[in-house]
Order: sequence, then C-alpha cells, then structure tokens
Amino acid sequence: YGIPFYLQYLAHWPEYFIVAEAPGGELMGYIMGKAEGSVAREEWHGHVTALSVAPEFRRLGLAAKLMELLEEISERKGGFFVDLFVRVSNQVAVNMYKQLGYSVYRTVIEYYSASNNEPDEDAYGKKALSRDLDKKSIIPLPHPVRPEDIE
Amino acid sequence: MAELVMKLYEAAVKKVPNSEEYHSHLFMAYARVGEYKKMQQAGMALYKIVPKNPYYFWSVMSLVMQAISAQDEKLSKTMFLPLAERMVEKMVKEDKIEAEAEVQLYFMILERLGKYTEALEVVRGKLGEKLTSEVQSRENKCMSLYRKLDQWPECNALSRKLLLKNPDDWQFYLSYFDSVFHLIDEAWSPPEQGEHCTEGHVDSAVDQAIKFVEDRIAGEDSKDSRHLRGPYLARLELIKRLRQRSSSEERELGNPLDLMFEYFVKFGDKPCCITDLRIFVDLLEPDQYVQFINRLTETVPLSTQAEDALAQPADIKSLQRHLCVVQLSRLLGMHHSLDTEHKLHLIEELKARYLYGLKFGKSCLKTELQFSDMYCLLAAHVLVDFWKETGEERHLWQCLGLLEEGLSNSPSNAQFKLLLIIIYCRLGAFEPIVDLYSSLDAKHIQHDTIGYLVTRYAEPLGQFAAASQSCNFSLRFFHSNQKDTSEYIIQAYKYGAFEKIPEFIAFRNRLNNSLHFAQVRVERMLLDLFLEANILSSLEENVRSMGLCPEEDDIPWKEMQDNRDLTVLVSWDPKSRQLSEEDRWLSLEEEILWLRIRSLTLRLIATLATPSHPVEPKNSEKAAENGVASKNDTLHELLRQLEVALEGGKRFVERKVQYHFLGPPSTRLTSAFASGSCQCQASAFRLVVDVHDLDISGLDDTTEVQERLGNSFKDLIVQLKDIRNKCESDLFEIRDGQNKTKPAALENLVFFTETVCIILWVSSYCSCILRPLKSNLQKKKKKKKDANTPTPAIFTNYQEYISALQLLISEVLDHIKGLETNLTALKLDSLSLEDHTLSEAEKKFKKMVREKVQSSYQRSLQEMAELLKKRLDTVKGLKI
Repeated sequence: YGIPFYLQYLAHWPEYFIVAEAPGGELMGYIMGKAEGSVAREEWHGHVTALSVAPEFRRLGLAAKLMELLEEISERKGGFFVDLFVRVSNQVAVNMYKQLGYSVYRTVIEYYSASNNEPDEDAYGKKALSRDLDKKSIIPLPHPVRPEDIE
Repeated sequence: MAELVMKLYEAAVKKVPNSEEYHSHLFMAYARVGEYKKMQQAGMALYKIVPKNPYYFWSVMSLVMQAISAQDEKLSKTMFLPLAERMVEKMVKEDKIEAEAEVQLYFMILERLGKYTEALEVVRGKLGEKLTSEVQSRENKCMSLYRKLDQWPECNALSRKLLLKNPDDWQFYLSYFDSVFHLIDEAWSPPEQGEHCTEGHVDSAVDQAIKFVEDRIAGEDSKDSRHLRGPYLARLELIKRLRQRSSSEERELGNPLDLMFEYFVKFGDKPCCITDLRIFVDLLEPDQYVQFINRLTETVPLSTQAEDALAQPADIKSLQRHLCVVQLSRLLGMHHSLDTEHKLHLIEELKARYLYGLKFGKSCLKTELQFSDMYCLLAAHVLVDFWKETGEERHLWQCLGLLEEGLSNSPSNAQFKLLLIIIYCRLGAFEPIVDLYSSLDAKHIQHDTIGYLVTRYAEPLGQFAAASQSCNFSLRFFHSNQKDTSEYIIQAYKYGAFEKIPEFIAFRNRLNNSLHFAQVRVERMLLDLFLEANILSSLEENVRSMGLCPEEDDIPWKEMQDNRDLTVLVSWDPKSRQLSEEDRWLSLEEEILWLRIRSLTLRLIATLATPSHPVEPKNSEKAAENGVASKNDTLHELLRQLEVALEGGKRFVERKVQYHFLGPPSTRLTSAFASGSCQCQASAFRLVVDVHDLDISGLDDTTEVQERLGNSFKDLIVQLKDIRNKCESDLFEIRDGQNKTKPAALENLVFFTETVCIILWVSSYCSCILRPLKSNLQKKKKKKKDANTPTPAIFTNYQEYISALQLLISEVLDHIKGLETNLTALKLDSLSLEDHTLSEAEKKFKKMVREKVQSSYQRSLQEMAELLKKRLDTVKGLKI
C-alpha cells in the first residue's frame, strides 16, 4: 500500500490501527481495519484490511491477539460482524481465520488476479459479533461471485 | 492552485454568506495550505451559521495548530492554547460536549499546556467515559499522566491491574517496575486502612514485585495452551533492574544463566528466541559463556548418520533450536575469539548445516524463506570477519558466492540481498545492485530509509545512468509526499481524528527535512550538470529549469532528519561490534559535511550562469542599495563557505573514523580528499574570482590578476594530473588463482571525471569572458594598425591550458581503453582456472560473481569513457 492509503485509514479509523512491538523495540506485527456498512440493514461491521506478522514472530499467537483486539473494537462500535478477504491459496491464513471462528461466507473469483496474473479464488470470511444473536450475517452464500458484484 | 481555490471560496462566501457548503469548502481550502488562523475564523463563522459541534471544534483545533506551528513557544502557552482551553471549557460548562473526538481534543490541549492534573480529571471523569473507540484508551492516557505527575502508587496499581488482565503486555511490566522502584525510593507505604490508591492495590517492595512476577510465571506454567513470553522475560527484566541497583535480592529470582536456559528450553524453537534473549545476555558473566552455550547445545536433539558426519537436526524445530545456539554464541563473541583454523572449520560447518537444512524447505514457496537460511548468513558473517582480520579479499569473494547460492535457493531473502549489495559495492561493482535492489521491492517510505544503500554507491562507482535513476525514484516519492499529506490532514478534520493532524504534519516535515532527500536533490542536479548539459551553451537554461538559485540555500541544515535505517542488515555481533549511538552521530556528521561540500559545489557552478552585471558596474553601490547582491558577493560568500566546509571535512578525515562493516557506509569524503578532487575543484572556483575581476576591470589595469590567472591555469593542470596518477593502476587482477580488485582506482577515475566536468564549466565561463576581450583587442589593433603592441600573456596561457586539458583527457581515455582490454583478457583467462577443491555449486557461483564484478567494471569504464569523450569535444569548443 502507498502512504496515502495508510494516511486515509489513520485519518478515518485511527483506533483500528494497532502495532505490536517486541521488548527490544522490534516491530512484531500490525493490523489495520475499518468500520463500515449500514446500521439499518444490519450491515454495520468491522473489516480487516491488513494483518501482518514479521517472519521471526510467527507461530506465537500474535495474529490471533491482533484479531481479538480488532473484534473488540468492532464490538464496541456495535458492529454486527467482522469480515475479511483472504486468498484461498493462502492456506495458513485460511486455517487461522477458521480457528478464530471465521467461516467462508462466499468466494470471490479472481479478486487478487490483477496482481499476479494467476487466476485465484478469494474467500470472503465473516464472523458474527455478539450483537448478531441469530448469526444471520454469516449464513453463507451458495454461489461464488465476481469482484464487480461486491459493493 | 491551492491559492486559487482559497480565493474562489473566499469570493463565494462573500456572495452567499450563509452557505454552509461554501464555508466548509473555504475551511478545507485553508487547511490544504495550513492557514491556521484563517481556519480558526472560518470554523467559527461556520458554527455561527450552523451551530454544529464539529465546526466549533475545527476552530479549536486550528488554535492548537497555531500553537504547534508558532515559533515562539511562549505565545503558544500563553495565548493560543489557553484560548483553545477556554473555548472547550465553555462547551463543557454548557454541557454541550457530544463526541469522543471533542474529549480527545480537550485532552490534547490540557496535555500541551502541561495541565496534567486537569487532564487526569477529564480522563477519569464523566467526559472520559466517551473515550471508547481505542482499546484501553483511558487506561493508556491515565498511565502516561501518572508518570508525568509522579503518581507512582496509581501507576503501579494500574499496571498491575492491566497485567493481571494480560500478562503479555510488555509496556506495563516496564511501568510496573518503574513504579515499584520509585515507590521504594520514596519509602512509600500504603495507608493503614482502605484502598491503597484510587487504582487499587499497590506493590511497593521488591519482594512483592518478585512475587507478582513469579505468580504470572506460575500461571503460565500451569497452562496447557501456548505459553506467553512476557512473564518469563519480565523475570529477566526484573533481575536486570535489581542488578542496576546492586540489590542482592535478584538472587531470589534465580540465576540468570538458569533462567535463560529455561527460556531457551521453552521458546528455543521459535525464531524470536534470539531477539528476546539478546537484550539480557549482559546478565551473564563472561566466564559463564562457554558453560551457557554448552548447556544449550546439550538440549538440542542432533543425530549423526555416519561415523564422522556432522550431527544434524531431525526436524525444523531442532534446526531452529540449534540455530539459536549458534546466534547466541556469535552474540557472546565466541565466533570472534576463534583462531584461524577453528574459524575455517566453523565456516565449513555452517555451510554444511545450511545445505542440509534445505531439505526441510523443499515445499516452500518462492516467497517463503528457507528454514536454514540463517546458517548461510552466519557463514557469510564469519567470512566477512575473516576478511576484516586478514585483509584477504578471497574471503569476500567466497562470501559473495555463498550468498548468491543462498539467494538462488531462497529468492525472497532480503538479508541475502542486502549483504550482497554491501559486498559488491565494497569491491567496486555496482551493476549487480540494480537487480538486487529492485527485487527488494522497496516501497514508499523505504526509498527514504534504505535508499542510501543505492545512492551511496551508484555515482561513486561510475554508473551514472543508474545513479540518476535511483535519485529519481527517491525524488518521486518525496515530491508526492507533499501532495498526499494535505489531503489527509483535511480528512482528519472531517473525521475528528485531531490527534493525527500534528502527527501527519510531523511526518511530512520529517520527510521534507530528510537527509536523503537533500542528498538526492543535490546529487541529481550535479549529475544533470555532469552528464546532460551542454557546457558550451546551456548553463543558464539548466540552472533555471532546476530552479537553482546560488544565493539561496534550500537545505534545512538545522532541522535535518536522519531517516536512514542503519540496522536494516541483521547482525548477531557482540555489543561492542554493533551500531552504537556514537556511530550514528558520527555518520550523520560526516554525511552533513559531505553534503555541504556537494551543495556548495552545485551552487558555485550555478553562479557561473547568473549574469555578470545585472546593473552597470559603476553603479554597483546603487545595486547593493537596491538589495541586489552582485555576483561577486555571492561568489565570495560561497567560496568562503566552501573553504570552511573543506576545512571541516579535512578535520573529519583526520579523525580516521571507521564504522563496523554492517554499520553505516562512510561517505565519499575521505576518498575525495585522498584523490585531491576536492582541492582541485575548489581551486577551479577560486580562479573564477580573478576571471570575474578581469571581466569588470578589463585588460588594462589587471596585470597582476592576469599573472595570477596564468599561474592558476597551470596549477589546475598539475592538480588534475595528480588525480589522474591516482587512477593509474589496474582494476582487476587474478593472482595465484585469486581475484584482486582495486575499487579505489575506480573511485578515483570517477573523481577525475567529475572534476573535469566542473573544470569545464569554469573554463566555459573563462572563455566567455576572454573571447570578447580578445576580439576587442584585435579590433583595436586593427584600428591603430599597430601590430607591435604585445598581446597579453593571459590569452596564450589560456590556450595552453585548454590544450593541456585536452591532452590529459585523451590520456585518461587511452588508459580506460587499456583497462577495458585487460578486463576482456582476464575474462578469457579465468575460464581456464579451476579449483578442484570446490563443489560444482561453488564453482558455478564463484564464476557467476566474478563475471558480475567484471561486467560491472566494464560498464563503469564505458560510462566514464562515454562522458569523457563528450567532454573532450567540449574542450575543443573552448578555445578562443
């Protein structure tokens, strides 16, 4: 991402920006996200835009901790769910999100393809927050969609 | 553009004074250019039309911005901030505070005013309840205030509470320990009855702190799930602090060696183990090192397949454990203390472990690192040590081969690439850097933080095209930054992210004041003047298009920010060999000294372009009165500054500062002085003063000046020859089957080339002055029909000087041709050399790196030859 992208998030959703630092001052990882969607349609939710953990700090549960914080923020804002995109081929990430309670809501075809020219599917994962008692928001869609169909 | 938008909306609100839309656009237009005072007024005007809270607080924030940007801190504290405070208080009293952002802003104001008690009241009170968006927003704010107010009981109790909730939050261990020791020093004791303080229970003695930490550890130990690192590291931190206070109670926590051992047993299979432990290795006594490493080694499960084969790990976790032990032994100086034989043995062992470990990563994607990569890097580091100690270049070559091999197995390993960059450049080869650096895929801010790795070497190693390109990459980033930030400052106002506004501005300033930015600006212009410009005709045009004004210094010397990431290359060297604060300061001092010389060089070239006499010479007093600094004044002033800068540079060189291999690269300063190019360039500029004098006063009364000029011309040639003599040697040889390079000869060739370019700009100026003088003289002679009047020697001196220059450049061109021929011959030669002790892979990569270096030398030579040929043509046109 370019600097404008980060600045935009910092200006709009500063609370959704969290970094984790090691005792020696090294940057271990960060998460950034946003809140969006219509409250009336029960679509107000938190979104994970980027989650990244430095290679040497992986397998410590850091990503889960950062996700937990993002969910907490989304809870406080009264979100119905938290959602994210993840490349289907990124099995490590897909499994981690599943373990954290995310389910595949739908798959988006060729969402990432522009960057590497390889056809790929993208899973659109969701996890319901406490406000969505019936977990309505996470009933999966039966068919994959194309990127242009996402709002 | 931004100004026009401002004017447009100013006119619009005049026409439609009650338009909320126009007023808010006007506010944003002011925000775009940072007109804080006008923003304050526009915000209030808006609020009067539509009494919405955000507008009111836009105005308040604009006051805060006036405070932040004011030069006079007193004015901020006595006027802007108190006014902002009163504006918020008014809303508080009227119970009109609505949003979290408004409370944030109130807090910001109080904090900046140093009214910490009041700020604490706000955070802890009713208004503070609005601070909900951020995780632990209130707690974090309270914590920072407790510290500022020395409210250690509260600081302690709050840290304690937060640690009970999350025993892995390192920052609160630090505040917990800080507060405990403050409380001990204050001899604080809890009240006999009731709560210890408003935040709850306070630990105010060492034994309580010990118990607290041990309880956290017991909690972790009893868990079945993954253990947190925090509590175990906190124990080591507490020992560290107790030791700093020479407190014997540290013994109650255990022996650091045992505890670090225990930590290794728990977390040794994680790559971060070394990062975690390295901050505590000082707790070990030097005589414990061997014992410590032996104990760790014993726990690493390694198994031997054959009789005398190296014991190897059976899985990735064991490999990682073993790697951690090797990293720790390096950190404890145990690699450095080895003798030659053991060092060689260590290198072979690390290489073997590296190759063996590749089998664990067969299914790794190209974007993933190999599990054993760090062995390869460690072997490379030991090879560099070896080179440092013996001065034998073959170790560096071996290192290059090894790293190239590593990179072929692990194409995304940035550390391999970075170390390759440093070593290739040490050997004078820049060409391989182009691909290496671009594959690092440096993005945005990284142009500022690691761009120096490229810009430091491209031009000095004679790769001018790559140098221009790398400057351009960096410049593009810096220029877009200016545009980008204003847009998001506006957004921050819109969304009430007030805390971010000063941060965005500080960020923008940090980039604008970047050392690297100033450097690439200057070097880019110098490169343009060296490479592109037509010396005979276009200096004025070039200087104008660069926006270069010799009188103006646009480099923010006082606010200079060193944004370089000097620890981007990972290292497990012992503390004494790591980058120190002193290194940082020295390196910055050196960079600034060199930048000053370069920027003055640039401005001095620019003075040659400005018209000689903007007003008639006789009216020069008048000109001064009018505030027009004459060219002469500028020239003298810049020359004076250059002398000072050179003197400063010389003094620095005499200090013989050396950085660690992985530390900051030194500048060109030392080699520039050694080559004599600095001195020679300064002489060329000094000569301009006399030429200028000649221009003003004519030929008749300037015999002395002319004589001096004649000598200066001769002197310049002598100095240039001196530089030339320093590039005479061969660049690359193969002796006893070993590669030998002379990068200094290459650098000196570049200094020669640059100096020729500068001298030609000066000479071009000379020719512009001398040519009309000569033709006038000839006209006069014709008129008087007096052929016997002697032509002043200055013209002959100049012609001789130009001829000598011409000859010198031709000679150097011949020399370069010779160097190129030698390189080609060597390429053929080296084909027949085979080292039978090497593996196939080693042979392959050995050949590869040699070819890369040779090809790079050839390119550098070609680029310089091309430029010098161009300049040889220029010289021909400089005759009068």
